Amino acid sequence: MWGNVRAVVRREYLQRVRSRWFVASTLFAPLFLFAVMVLPSWFTSGDQPEERSLAVVDGTGVLYERLAPLLEEAGYDVHEQRWHADVVTELRGESAAGIISGFLMVDELTLETGEAIFYTRFPPNPLRRATLRGSIARAALEFQLEQRDVDADALLRGGELEVEPLGDFGADSREPRFLVAYVGSFLLYMVILIYAIAVMRATLEEKTSRIVEVIVSSMEPWHLMLGKIVGVGAVSLTQLTIWLVLGILLVVSGLPMLVAAEPGLADLSRITQALPDAGMIALFVGFFVFGFFMYSGLYAAVGAMCNSDEEAQQAQLPVILFIVVPVIMVVGVIEDPSSNLSVGLSLFPLFTPILMWARVAGGTVPPVEIALSFVLMALATLGIAWVAGRIYKVGILMAGKRPTLPELWRWIREA
Amino acid sequence: MQPTNVNNDSGLRYVAEDEGAYAIRLRGVTKRFGAQTAVDRLDFDVPRGVVYGLLGPNGSGKTTTIRMIMGILHPDEGRVTLFGGDPGRARRTRVGYLPEERGLYKKMRCLDVITFLAEIRGVPRHEGRRKGGAWLERLGLSAWADRRVEDLSKGMQQKVQFVSTVIHEPELLILDEPFAGLDPINQDVLEEIVRDFHAQGTTILFSTHLMDQAERLCQRVCLISDARKVLDSDLRALKASERRGVLAVEFEGPDGWLHGPEIQSVERSDAGLHLLLREGADHQRILERGISAGARFSRFQLVEPRLHEIFVRHAGMETGSGGAR
Repeated sequence: MWGNVRAVVRREYLQRVRSRWFVASTLFAPLFLFAVMVLPSWFTSGDQPEERSLAVVDGTGVLYERLAPLLEEAGYDVHEQRWHADVVTELRGESAAGIISGFLMVDELTLETGEAIFYTRFPPNPLRRATLRGSIARAALEFQLEQRDVDADALLRGGELEVEPLGDFGADSREPRFLVAYVGSFLLYMVILIYAIAVMRATLEEKTSRIVEVIVSSMEPWHLMLGKIVGVGAVSLTQLTIWLVLGILLVVSGLPMLVAAEPGLADLSRITQALPDAGMIALFVGFFVFGFFMYSGLYAAVGAMCNSDEEAQQAQLPVILFIVVPVIMVVGVIEDPSSNLSVGLSLFPLFTPILMWARVAGGTVPPVEIALSFVLMALATLGIAWVAGRIYKVGILMAGKRPTLPELWRWIREA
Repeated sequence: MQPTNVNNDSGLRYVAEDEGAYAIRLRGVTKRFGAQTAVDRLDFDVPRGVVYGLLGPNGSGKTTTIRMIMGILHPDEGRVTLFGGDPGRARRTRVGYLPEERGLYKKMRCLDVITFLAEIRGVPRHEGRRKGGAWLERLGLSAWADRRVEDLSKGMQQKVQFVSTVIHEPELLILDEPFAGLDPINQDVLEEIVRDFHAQGTTILFSTHLMDQAERLCQRVCLISDARKVLDSDLRALKASERRGVLAVEFEGPDGWLHGPEIQSVERSDAGLHLLLREGADHQRILERGISAGARFSRFQLVEPRLHEIFVRHAGMETGSGGAR
C-alpha cells in the first residue's frame, strides 16, 4: 500500500528537482541576494589606488590620529601633510599631477562644528560624502569627549542596553534582530506559498488531464494527496537546505575572501553577526514544515475542487488571505512581540509560522509558548488533512462547475 | 474473496457469484445528473475472456457506465460487480483502464510515465521500465522513450497512454473509445493488439460509437441508446437472428415503393441500397410492390445485417456511421 505512495513521492520529487526552474532558482537566488548586498559597496570600492589616496592637512594637531583609522576603514589611503602657508597650492599641484586624489583640510573650527574642506578631483557620491562627514564629526566628538574623561568609544558606538527579563523568558535574551526576524518571515511566506501553490497546480494538472482517474483506480485518493504533499515538501526542503548551505558558505568564507581582496568592503563583515544559530535554524525549519503541510493541504483541496487555472485563481483567495494577513502584521509583531495581540495572533496555527518566527527571532518568547504553538499547528495540520482529504477525494473525480459552500460541506460529510 | 449478496431484483436467476464466470456484471444500474438520467436501469454481463463492445451514439451513457464500473462514479441505484465483488481498489488494480479524455503528465518522459503508472499498480520499477521499453518498441516509439510527453504528437501520446494502460498485464481491459483520434494505420495496430490480448485470455470491454470497428472485434455487444439498453447479445447469434431484417436491392425505375410501411429506413451501401425492415415485415410483399410499381430488379437478397443496421432497427435512430436516406 505504501509502495504507491512512495512512487508518487519519488515521481513528484525527481520530476521537480530535475526541472530547470528548480536548478535556476536554487542556485541564483542566494547569489542574487549576495550580489544585492555586496554590489553597492563594490561599486564604490572599485576605484583606482590613486583615487583613494588622500592627504589630510591637520591644523589642530590632534584630529589626524583619530581621523586616519576612520578614513582607512572607509577605504582611503591617507597620509598627513603638515600645514604651511602654501600647502593648498602645493597639494593642488600634486592632485593635478595625479599623485593624490585630493586633500582634506581640518582646523580648530572643525573641532567645534565638524566643518571641513575637501578638495578633490573625484567629487564623492552621496554615500561617500556621508561617510567622510561622519568620520570627521566622529573624530571631533571623540576628541571633545576625551577632554572630559568620557569613554567616547562606548558612547559613540551607540551605547549598550542590557535586557534583564522579569519572568520566564528562557536564558537566551538577545538584542532584537530585526533583520533575521523580518527576512526570515518573508522567506517563510514566500517558500510556503510557492510550494503550496505547486501542490495545487499538480493536483489541477492531474485532474484536468484525467490521469487521476487512472491513478485512483489503484490507490486511495488520500494517499495520492499525501504522496504529492510529501514529495513537493521534500523538494522545498532540498531547496531551503541548499540555500542555507550556500548562504553560510558565501557569508562565512566568500565574504572574508572578498573583504581581503577589497578592503573597502570591510563593512560587510558585520553581516556575519546576523547569522542565526543552529537552534534558530531548527525552529525555522519546524515552522516551515508545519506551515507547508497546513497550506499545501488547503491548496490541494482548492486544486481538487477546480477545473481550470482561472477557477483556481479565484478559489484560492480565502487561503491567500490567511497567509497574507500575518505578513502585513509582521512589523507590528516584531515591534511589540509581547503584547496580548501579538501573542494571540502568533498562536493561531495558520499565522504561527510567520508571526511566531518574527517574535522568536526578533525578541524573546517563553519556551512554553513556542511549544504550545507547535502543538496547535500539529492539531491544525491533522484537522486540515482530514477536511482537505475529503474534499480532495470527491473533488478530484468531479467534473463540472465548482462546488458551492453547501456542496463543499456535503462532500466533507459524505466522503 | 468477500461473499456477495447480489441485489437480484432484475428477476434474473443466478447462483452466488465467485471470481468465476464474469468479469463485470451490472444490475439495474441507474445514474442521474440533476434532472437528466445518464444511465437508466442498465443490466449486462461481461463474461471472462470475451471482447465486449459497449455501443451507442455519443451521449448515450457509455462513458458514465464505464466510470461507474471503475468506481469513479457511484450508481444512484443498482449494483456494479467487478470480478464478483464491489469495485474496490484491489479489484480495480487488476483492470487496465483507458479513460475517454486522454491525458498524461506532459512534462515527464514517456518511459518514466509508463514506469510510474506501472509502479503504482505494483509492478517493480525495473520491470516496468523493461516492459515499457519493449512496448514502445513494438509501437515504433523507441526513439521517443526519453522525450517528454508534450513533444509527441497526439496519436503518439495516445499510444503511450495505451502502453501505460496495459503495462501491468491486467486481467480486464476497459477502453473508452480507444480508437478515437487514431489514424487508420494506428487503428489497425491497436486492433491487432486488442486481438492479441484476447488470444491470451484477457477480457476486454470497450466502448465505441463506430459500429464497423465493433463488428470486427467483438464477440458480444451491448447497444445503448438514450441511457437505456437496446439489446445485448452474442454478435454472431444476433446477426443470424436479424437475418430477415435487411434486404439488399439493386433496381432501375421508380422508387416510390420504398416508402412503404414495412420499410423502416433505406441506406446506400457499396452497391445499391440496404432496406431495413420493420419487425414482422414480409419481404415477398415488398418485392411484389416494387415490381408492380415498375421497378426492374437486378438484385433482391436477404443479407446479414451490419451492426449499424441492427442498431438503427432497434434504437430507431441514426448512429454515427454514416447512414443515408
